[in-house]
Amino acid sequence: MTRTPDLIDALVETATPVRRLRVPIVRAGHWLAFAAIVLGLIAIAHGVRPDFSDRVQQPLFVLGMLGALATSILAAVASFRLSLPDSSRLWAVLPLPALALWVATIGYGCLTDWVSLDSDGVHMGEAIRCFATLLMTSIPLSIAMLVMLRYAALLRPLEVSIVGGLAVAAVTAFALSLFHGLDATVMILVWNLGTAALIATLGSLFGRSMLTWMASHFTTLPR
Amino acid sequence: MSAGRHSPTPLTIVSAATPDDSHQAGDGADWSKLMARSQDGDRVAYRALLEGVTPYIQSLAARCFKQPTDAEDAVQDVLLTIHMVRHAYDPSRPFGPWLAAIANRRIIDRLRRDTRRKAREVELSIDHETFADASTNLHTEKPDEVALAQAIERLPPDQRQTIRMLKLNEMSLKEAAAASGRSMPALKVATHRAIKSLRRMLKQHSDST
Repeated sequence: MTRTPDLIDALVETATPVRRLRVPIVRAGHWLAFAAIVLGLIAIAHGVRPDFSDRVQQPLFVLGMLGALATSILAAVASFRLSLPDSSRLWAVLPLPALALWVATIGYGCLTDWVSLDSDGVHMGEAIRCFATLLMTSIPLSIAMLVMLRYAALLRPLEVSIVGGLAVAAVTAFALSLFHGLDATVMILVWNLGTAALIATLGSLFGRSMLTWMASHFTTLPR
Repeated sequence: MSAGRHSPTPLTIVSAATPDDSHQAGDGADWSKLMARSQDGDRVAYRALLEGVTPYIQSLAARCFKQPTDAEDAVQDVLLTIHMVRHAYDPSRPFGPWLAAIANRRIIDRLRRDTRRKAREVELSIDHETFADASTNLHTEKPDEVALAQAIERLPPDQRQTIRMLKLNEMSLKEAAAASGRSMPALKVATHRAIKSLRRMLKQHSDST
């Protein structure tokens, strides 16, 4: 077993200057800017949904979009804040009001528009394109967040994974509403909440091990 | 958030383990400056910092681990973590709570890991037998030499002499015949009878004990 004084010697030996992390809100801003770029690229490649101009007239749709957007922003800020060891765990509740608004909007829309489910249902082609958008949004954003928060693996992996997963899920749901006209209420529910639940669950299941993997591959340790 | 999941005893100890006022007021401010200089690559400051915080981490770890080696492992784990996340320290914030949070987090993680391991694993002792059946462990029983010696003493003189020569002294039949002046068939018969008697006497002995 290494003796502690020997370990200190080894650590001092490998102590190179490090760049301090910026404040959490700035780092969250960087991540959100990256999310905006991803969404912008998809918008250029795919274009917004055909009935977007009509839909923005509907308060419920706008409210749902704003809810998802606010959830993503607040969850991003909370996850960067939570990743610091000395910050309060209460930061985890920051995105909850926006999340409540978002879920309530979808739920309310579901109740009022239940009968308006299109008898033709959703065509397979559109569903597959939806799935592609889901992957194109969530994968790069998840990777970016894992890289930016890798040091949290040793500190609060579970909380950071869940809140970070919520941020990714909310951006993804926002993107889906922006690009795809799946307005059948069941589909909205499945896509929005299903995606959110899936990403947040994956985050909580694999976030710890993924963060640890990132930390071990991108952090220098004394040999 | 996850406070309800682990056992209350270590948590109570750990949650009470925040740096005391002397650390925050005196050493804490110095540590903060040392850490800021360490982030800039000042190795002297970094050594002073690590050597300064080690006794504090050791006192925390000693409260949570019974074995000194476990406590030492925990201390080294905390030091490594500090090293890996040192870029995440903001010098405008106090160092004491930052250090305490990291130390508590790593110690709780280790305690949880130990608890999980102990729940899964059972330590083997030498008393553990390979098989439950008694006959499979016969090799561990010592032969009762005293009983055998007593049984031989109780044999008739000619049988006792035959057993001593042929079995204990490992003489051949020819040698024994020459030494005793008896014929080889007589010795064979005497051996046969002696072993039969011994078997009966030892059986009686083991039945009585």
